Amino acid sequence: MSSINELRRLRGSQKGARQQNKAAFFFLLPWFVGLFGITLGPMLASLYLSFTKYNLLQPPQFNGVENWTRMLDDERLHKSLEVTFSYVLVSVPLQLAMALGLALVLDKGVRGLAFYRSVFYLPSLIGGSVAIAVLWRAMFGTNGLVNEALALVGVQGQGWISEPGTALSTLVVLNVWTFGSPMVIFLAGLRQIPTSLYEAASVDGAKRWRQFRSITIPLLTPIIFFNLVLQIIHAFQTFTQAFVVSGGTGGPADSTLFFSLYLYQRGFGHFDMGYASALAWVLLLIVAAFTAVNFWASKYWVFYDD
Amino acid sequence: MKASPFRRVAIGAVASLSLALTACSGSSTGSAPDLSDKPVTIRATWWGADARAQLTDEVIAAFEKKYPNIKVKGQYKDWNGYWDALATTTAAKDSPDVVQMDELYLASYADRGALYDLGKAKKLLSTSQFDDQALATGQVDGTQYALPVGVGVLSILVNTDLFKKYGVKVPDDKTWTWDDYAKIGKELTDKSGGKIHGAAGAPGFSAGDVKYWARQHGENLFDKDGNVSLKPETLAGMWKYGLDLTSSGASVKASTMVEDLTAGVTAGSFATGKAAMMGVYNTQITAIQQATGAQVQLLQMPRVGNTKANFFKPSMYWAVSSQSKHPAEAAAFVNFVLNDQKAADILKTERGIPANKEMLKHLQPTLAGTDKAAADYMNAVTPGESPVVTPNGGSGIEPELQRYSQEVYFKKTSPDAAAKAFIKELQGEIDAAK
Repeated sequence: MSSINELRRLRGSQKGARQQNKAAFFFLLPWFVGLFGITLGPMLASLYLSFTKYNLLQPPQFNGVENWTRMLDDERLHKSLEVTFSYVLVSVPLQLAMALGLALVLDKGVRGLAFYRSVFYLPSLIGGSVAIAVLWRAMFGTNGLVNEALALVGVQGQGWISEPGTALSTLVVLNVWTFGSPMVIFLAGLRQIPTSLYEAASVDGAKRWRQFRSITIPLLTPIIFFNLVLQIIHAFQTFTQAFVVSGGTGGPADSTLFFSLYLYQRGFGHFDMGYASALAWVLLLIVAAFTAVNFWASKYWVFYDD
Repeated sequence: MKASPFRRVAIGAVASLSLALTACSGSSTGSAPDLSDKPVTIRATWWGADARAQLTDEVIAAFEKKYPNIKVKGQYKDWNGYWDALATTTAAKDSPDVVQMDELYLASYADRGALYDLGKAKKLLSTSQFDDQALATGQVDGTQYALPVGVGVLSILVNTDLFKKYGVKVPDDKTWTWDDYAKIGKELTDKSGGKIHGAAGAPGFSAGDVKYWARQHGENLFDKDGNVSLKPETLAGMWKYGLDLTSSGASVKASTMVEDLTAGVTAGSFATGKAAMMGVYNTQITAIQQATGAQVQLLQMPRVGNTKANFFKPSMYWAVSSQSKHPAEAAAFVNFVLNDQKAADILKTERGIPANKEMLKHLQPTLAGTDKAAADYMNAVTPGESPVVTPNGGSGIEPELQRYSQEVYFKKTSPDAAAKAFIKELQGEIDAAK
């Protein structure tokens, strides 16, 4: 008897679970519509378009792998890869170092922490915006604020954004300046580290640097890893800043020709949407590869305290 | 634009075939369209700033008064956003009925069947007040796909206040050459002690520069078939001249030219009084004069011998989309904007000196100040034959040119290598679009 009752109870709960599932699917519906309609649909369409010649105004024509082989000797594409990679490789480590450094300072219990946290976080909210890019262009121009400040200390400045040699660096500075969001995450991570560990370490005579190396960093590695993955993906997709600062050209002399900017130029400037679609997939593959390598490498340096 | 009879027939056949293919309703097939007496709504789109939108909205109101059953919905954007939106709405078969068109994109849209043959709407859209040269600028392979709104001609704008201040004589523009231009530029720079530069830039940042340079050497940027016909030596010559300007100090530095490009003509070196001479289209004088606040004057372009290198450049066109379900109403709107005195009274010269000669005559007595100077200048120019419309695939010419000019002026590439590479790249784009 009891076993039958047990069975009934189980069946009842299964039924309940099914009903709960239904409710969950119902509430997820908007997200599914978004995923299939706005993300997956266009993605598949662009995969198809990457094998066609498509000028937007006439129906796409299948042209096999022509778009893909064409990339091999597209010099501007190679230039854009060079620009994008050097940007990612320089700006992401600098930005994370900056974020971690300030998080450590703030974690020491500065008075008015909430205020500083907000102030430092602000740039990451607005850093990707058009307004900031316009401001950047004005600040780093020949008659901009930066040169005026340099003139005060007797240094003759130059047009930082209009010289091919320094244009990309100004955008790196812009990205580093938006260290706020990784910083806030670092701060939260620092708060998670039990103070008892530090206490035990100081009893054992470990100095601050030793504590930082042997306690803070290892326990923070999951957070560093998370920020690294996120910021690399973010940096590869840089578009707005370069578009605004160079007026959409990637200039001067292609020195700020980011991958996504080149993709945009091909698609909309040259009615070359098939090729642009193929480029978009290349960007996806590059980002995916970087992320995969990151996850693989994480086994060797990220410490999970489970 | 004289195509051989066979070519014309063949192209006509292809054009009407692609028109039939892309038309989304039966209304834009072969026969002449008629105005409907039922309520009709059409959409019109243009690029430009708020001031232009205000004037255009006034014209729309006047048009709706004349045709009470037609409603016009106006939409406007800035230049870059405009072309992105036009390409995507056209791809989605949802193009606005009436579109403002530019010389760079005209053939790209017309060749791909996206524009309506205005010849079919002759009854509703008169072209009798335009001269043949102006009409030719709106034709692709002999078909009238667009009508020019305004025209401009190349000129050198000088800041006469700066000339006076530094004691340099404004040159006689009937005889001056490019050597004079360089010499005067250097004189201005030297006499100001480097406070200003003579010239606000070196040639190569606009397609007009290259067209003019080619034509004064008896060449053309594009031939009749829409291929690049400019010789690399000629183009390299232009850049070598520009390099001399920058290295002698006659012109501003390369990095300043880059900044001026993003700042726009009303905020660049000339507009801020840091340079005294600049190549512009005559119609830009009003905006630039307002920005400088100084006395300015239009001079004829320096010349090589007696060549008629200057040309009428349409500032923009009106065209009708081949996807329009109401081509008759769209044509009637274009007719009103271009041919009705009421519209001319509202728009004046905001979109350029009217290409419609009657409208220009009508407006001439009311023009004053810089508008008058621009109109007078245009009358004083004797242009050569109209250049061929930028071919399909060539719409990216300006950014391409600017990129190579920067390579040259930052001394990353030699003029000869840049000229060869530029011509190869542009021709490649044109071939890819064929």
